[in-house]
Amino acid sequence: MNPTMQTIQDLFAVVFLIAGVFFTFIGAVGVYRMPDVYHRIHSASKCSTLGMIGLLLAVVFHVASVGIIAKATMVLVFAFVALPVGSHMLAWAGLRTGSRQWRHTLVDEHAEDRVKTDQPSQKPPATLE
Amino acid sequence: MTSTMLDMLPWCLAMGEVGHAPSQDIPTTIFTGVLMLVIEVGLALILLGIGLCLVRLLRGPELADRIVAGDTIALQVVGLVILLTVRLGSDAYIDVAMTVAVIGFVTAIAFSQFIIATHGKEPA
Repeated sequence: MNPTMQTIQDLFAVVFLIAGVFFTFIGAVGVYRMPDVYHRIHSASKCSTLGMIGLLLAVVFHVASVGIIAKATMVLVFAFVALPVGSHMLAWAGLRTGSRQWRHTLVDEHAEDRVKTDQPSQKPPATLE
Repeated sequence: MTSTMLDMLPWCLAMGEVGHAPSQDIPTTIFTGVLMLVIEVGLALILLGIGLCLVRLLRGPELADRIVAGDTIALQVVGLVILLTVRLGSDAYIDVAMTVAVIGFVTAIAFSQFIIATHGKEPA
């Protein structure tokens, strides 16, 4: 392969690799540090999706072969479909079963609309901390 | 037509291993040193992230916290495998990333159904 082309590809690979590692690590820090379940789901899904995009683009730029590009495209499409669905299901399950919310949570539109939950009583869900 | 495409799918996915010698035909450029340094630092950061998620997995007050932590660990493992793919220049490792991503998704769906199904029935 042309060495100049490979140099440009490696430059892009370094940039996307730094972005991907940064977002992946920030997702893990958010899972550790956030105050309740909903904040943790938020951090995990968004940051991990961005991190996976960055890392896969780095692989595609560094090892530019047909198999890598096909597999990376499959992982990207699957991650874009699957990760929001999984996070939504998890947040919905937590809301249905009355997971505790952070004390400083500003808006709870489900409680305002009086959506039926599986809670035996209709009082608002307990808060955390 | 559709069955033909489905028959060709494993062949398309295995195309990378045919006639591609790992890490020899990628020429060394001026960014190779920087790339390897970033990979070393990234491996350390992702291992640290797995440690943080393990702490949340052990400490999480509710079941949903532990499930989120386990799902995030799966995504960190995907990142680790992708870093190894860049490091070794080989095609073979990205299959592991695909598999782990699929299993993480199925795990999240199954556990959320489990939370709803066993709510109020589990011993406190």
